[in-house]
Amino acid sequence: MTMRRIVVVGNGIAGLTACDSLRSAGFDGELTVVGAERHHPYSRPALSKALLHGVNGNGDDGLQAHELPEPTHEATELLGVNVSGLDVEARVVRLDGGGELPYDGLVIASGSRAKRLAPTEGAREPRDDGFAPELTLRTIEDAITLKQRVAARPSVIVVGGGPLGMEVASGCLQAGCDVTLVSDVQPLSRQLGDHLSGMFTAAAARRGLRVVGGGKARLIDFDEGAGFDAGARVVLADGTQLEADLVVTAIGDEPNTGWLAGSTLLVDGSLRVDTRGRLRPEIVAAGDVASFPTRRGVQRVPLWTSAIDQAKVAAVGLLRGDAAPELNFQPYFWTEGFGLSLKSVGFTPVAGAPDYREPGKDPESMLLRWENGDGSGTAAAVNYRIPIPKLRRLADVGPGALRLAAPVSV
Amino acid sequence: MRIELDRPRCEGHGLCEEAAPRLMHLDDDGELLIDVPEVDGADLDAAKAAVRVCPVAALRLAAA
Repeated sequence: MTMRRIVVVGNGIAGLTACDSLRSAGFDGELTVVGAERHHPYSRPALSKALLHGVNGNGDDGLQAHELPEPTHEATELLGVNVSGLDVEARVVRLDGGGELPYDGLVIASGSRAKRLAPTEGAREPRDDGFAPELTLRTIEDAITLKQRVAARPSVIVVGGGPLGMEVASGCLQAGCDVTLVSDVQPLSRQLGDHLSGMFTAAAARRGLRVVGGGKARLIDFDEGAGFDAGARVVLADGTQLEADLVVTAIGDEPNTGWLAGSTLLVDGSLRVDTRGRLRPEIVAAGDVASFPTRRGVQRVPLWTSAIDQAKVAAVGLLRGDAAPELNFQPYFWTEGFGLSLKSVGFTPVAGAPDYREPGKDPESMLLRWENGDGSGTAAAVNYRIPIPKLRRLADVGPGALRLAAPVSV
Repeated sequence: MRIELDRPRCEGHGLCEEAAPRLMHLDDDGELLIDVPEVDGADLDAAKAAVRVCPVAALRLAAA
């Protein structure tokens, strides 16, 4: 059928990219995008990087690092609006407060939210003044709160040894805080593998990061009625008790699928799309909310470039069906902290030491490549500026690609 | 439209080059060069894609 009305649920980078891609592909009908946040889309990766670390070249303390250009897709934007349900038979999205949005085509890009430590008995709800015993980092509001709290140089416990936890720990150390990171395994090892994880962990230790493991963490509030700076206590499964002024959790994300509970779209609780982003001919999904087929199985890949690549494919999949190109996903990921900057192309974690290593201009600068068991390659640049197309060639083809002249642009 | 680069913000990811290889590229030192600053027609879509993909919003499109 002809698509006259398309609704995009979610206004992060996946929703924005879907809107832009629908327009680029020629859709000139009625486009509506619904965003739970009050803002235009912004760059989430920048929140824990340039913004928290207060570095970019503009002297603005990183506070504008997340801002993206104004949208040009001319969609009707409903900002600060939550969706509450979906009726796939009637083709209607229900809004909080009773409104309805009928559609011919639907893009689900409702993203994910930060997981939190399981609340313990008697734990306080966040107070009206915004004080919560446990901070996390997902939204711009989270980032500004964290930056403000960290400015007073509190002692900090960061729970979670993934990229976000390590970026937060690095930012807090740089601000002069005493920082303890709670992680049962060597930080970043699950995401990157032992080799890259070892480099970051060593650099973090040199800068004073303390890493503590001890099983699942629980959060214990200090006394009821305690003041803003009362702090909190984290108890690990093995009985280890940690206290600090501030607890920041970075223990992963969970997809925003609650509004789809009655929709029949969820399989075992997840939203599994095909190689063109489709759930049904008239419904596609993209971004952190979606599980999609990759070389390493059907999975969610909540990364910036993943959201963009998925959204481009899903937009065309919605308009053209089987004639649309399929997603050929190759991860691009970057993180920075403790004086190291990493860019990596290809699937991670990578096993063992790299098969290829090329030194850069200083001892901490290098290009690395792993040959993976499945025949694919993973390339990583550490403190090494290299265009991503070139890093992709290194991952795909191997070191020989570095010697070839780049394709000449006309 | 004109592609404008906020050079201090650029972190050299090069995702823009991937989106619009005809319009811009990173040189051997990882510095972004805008090869075709004035864009229209088909180039405009590529330029928009390049602006959109930058995670630090170092690129903007301005009226020429």
